[in-house]
Amino acid sequence: MKSDKMIIPIGPQHPLLKEPIAFTLTVEGERVMEAGMRMGYVHRGIERLAQERSYVQTIHLVERVCGICSHVHATTYCQGVEALLGLEIPPRAQYLRALLCELERIHSHLLWLGVLGKNLGLDTIFMYAWRDREIVLDIMEDLSGGRVSHAINVIGGVRSDVDEAHCDEILRQLDLLTEPLARLVGLVEHERTLKARTQNVGHLSLEQIRRYCVVGPVARASGLDVDLRRDMPKAPYTDLSFKVITHTAGDVWARTLVRMQEAVESVRLCREILAQLPDGPISVKAKRRVPPGEVVSRAEAPRGELIYYIRSDGSEKPARLKIRTPTLTTLITLPEQLREVNMADVPAVLSGVDLCIACADR
Amino acid sequence: MTHSLETILEALQATFPALSLDTRAMLTDETVISVPGDVLTEVVGELIESFDFYHLTTITGLDTGEGLVLLYHFWNIHGLTLYVALPYTEARVPTLTELIPGVAMYEREIHEMLGVDFTGLETSAPFLLPDDWDDTLPLRKQAVESEDEV
Amino acid sequence: MQTAFTLLIFPGLGFIVLCAWLFDWLDRRIIARFQGRVGPPWYQPVADFIKLLAKEDILSTGINPALSTALPVLSLASVLTVSLYIPVARTAPVSFEGDLIVVLFLLSIPALAYFLAGWISGGVYGILGANRSLLQYFSYEVPFLMALSGPAILGNSWRIAQIAQQQVGTTWNLALQPLGFILAVVGLIGKLKRDPLDIPKAKSEVVGGSLTEYSGRKLALWHLAMDMQTVLGIFLLINLFLGGTSASPLWGGLGFVLKALGIVLLLSTASVLYARLRIDQLANLGWRVLAPLALMQLAATIWMGG
Repeated sequence: MKSDKMIIPIGPQHPLLKEPIAFTLTVEGERVMEAGMRMGYVHRGIERLAQERSYVQTIHLVERVCGICSHVHATTYCQGVEALLGLEIPPRAQYLRALLCELERIHSHLLWLGVLGKNLGLDTIFMYAWRDREIVLDIMEDLSGGRVSHAINVIGGVRSDVDEAHCDEILRQLDLLTEPLARLVGLVEHERTLKARTQNVGHLSLEQIRRYCVVGPVARASGLDVDLRRDMPKAPYTDLSFKVITHTAGDVWARTLVRMQEAVESVRLCREILAQLPDGPISVKAKRRVPPGEVVSRAEAPRGELIYYIRSDGSEKPARLKIRTPTLTTLITLPEQLREVNMADVPAVLSGVDLCIACADR
Repeated sequence: MTHSLETILEALQATFPALSLDTRAMLTDETVISVPGDVLTEVVGELIESFDFYHLTTITGLDTGEGLVLLYHFWNIHGLTLYVALPYTEARVPTLTELIPGVAMYEREIHEMLGVDFTGLETSAPFLLPDDWDDTLPLRKQAVESEDEV
Repeated sequence: MQTAFTLLIFPGLGFIVLCAWLFDWLDRRIIARFQGRVGPPWYQPVADFIKLLAKEDILSTGINPALSTALPVLSLASVLTVSLYIPVARTAPVSFEGDLIVVLFLLSIPALAYFLAGWISGGVYGILGANRSLLQYFSYEVPFLMALSGPAILGNSWRIAQIAQQQVGTTWNLALQPLGFILAVVGLIGKLKRDPLDIPKAKSEVVGGSLTEYSGRKLALWHLAMDMQTVLGIFLLINLFLGGTSASPLWGGLGFVLKALGIVLLLSTASVLYARLRIDQLANLGWRVLAPLALMQLAATIWMGG
């Protein structure tokens, strides 16, 4: 066969992608020679919109940056505004926020595992992972009223509480989740065709991770031992014990392992949070007008370090809201990962970085 | 491997004696130093080489009404932000892509939204804005005030 | 009159089409149950076919319309011709010495038509899918042919009906050539482009492969041809390895049905268990594992028969 160059578009619409982003692959035979990327298809101008909404309205605006990690966006934002207001939120609210953050982490990783399975042709993993994900969604719905969009944060705390019976119910449902999750982890560790498709694919060295400032499970899979829950201690994580999962292989399989084992850790964390849940109110009153100032608020989203910069000029609306989502850091490594890769490895590479384009585009 | 921020600030002041690196604190755990645009590359190089402060979280671009400001948010257990003030007329700063390749996206976004020129950065293609966008810079103050209140 | 019945109703067109839909439904149902789902109702394949017939037939510019219509028709025609030679109720409508070779030849026409369909489609996905389908063909076809020659050599006949008859009452070829059977099943998975060997039409890589640009009636014909190929591949395996249909009409018919179900179960299980292979992994598998194994089986058969 003649090997002539072909331009293959992946996106903006493609069965591989859940959200629109355009990759242009220059392919020779079955090898990708070069990859170009165009983002911005879901750019909604959220940073600009925030300047025209009150601080309270902005909570709901930033929840819509992303569907899967909406709670951690709202939490990071609220933490920033509470710092500007000089508010100390009650410990019970901190624990409840953390509970939902961990549940969201489990949800995000399970969803991602299903997407990886589907893209690699192993539909069974997709069906199993998304079925087990339903347990997490049920817990979150009981907590907040919504399966993916929670709106549980208010400036000053959370808006809905859990009682003793509800806690027991959540613990019971977490028990239901333990065995399926262990089975999925075992699948990832031992299933030969999955390993054949994901090992040594999309390799990123620790050096590349540092130069591109990559965060999250992708960075931890290459050996970078950074997790903001442990390294930037904030209540309630200061009172909780958990492992930070790292791996050294740096390929898609390592990323899968890191995410799955993180999900298992998160289940443990949820149990610990519920066991240590302090009594008390769930919110404090917050003023509508925020005094002038600036704040940088960071958190560990399911995909890595999330940063919010908020600048207030004393009015009821934020003067500047800057969001940097973790997906951006992994997106920039993609053209490099896609170079010199087989066409058949493209789904593995693209799935391995856990793209959340809505997060990246805002 | 983590040096305390005091050590870093002292060492930076020693390396760049001519500059007054004003320090102040910012919520929630940031130290801010003002850095003039022309020595930015050297300061960042020094931070990476000597103190392993390689992780740039993001660059925030602002329009304060009196000028543009770039905030380079670094992180290594504690946050360190470099504050670069730029006048509207001289909105130019060298790119950091040689030192930190990961910075390209953040710089392209600021170039698109605020009109800051990063010398040495490839900015021909639009980044987040659509292909048929006009020349409006969405995050400039004029853009905000010229639109109707929502 | 009898000929028209044989050609059009049983075991000709009507029977094969019904079996095609039935086996497709079974396959989807079994896979769904494995995955913890319920699966589609029995009329789903029929509904899909009718839906496709009703859809608009979009022809992209640059595609030769005559060729684009001829290819699915050619696939369908070759598959229908194969149905004449494969015995279902003990006898095949047409049976002569050497009809196994004719069947194997005819069964490779759909693969080549599939390749051409992608090649003329003019879109990148079509060309990629076409290239992959040809590469896949070269990987599985040789072990497949060698595996299917085993029963012929063992039975000293190249007539499918005779090979089947020879197994009735004595041991099945499955017991005498287990390796050959496994290789034939793997080859069938490759031929039918089923998971884990659906590389040419991997949705996440090449969108629709060769058939990306097809829609409407022509796509319905393609799907029908592929489903019928599944049925006839299974029937061929039953006749060559599992003893065909035995003498008594009741037990013979029941046995045939059970054997067919068994192979459908085997194919569906393979779909569920494995991730899709990469094309280079398949080529490796085909030439470094399957072909040598097939050669070994063939050598053993010749030595045993001689």
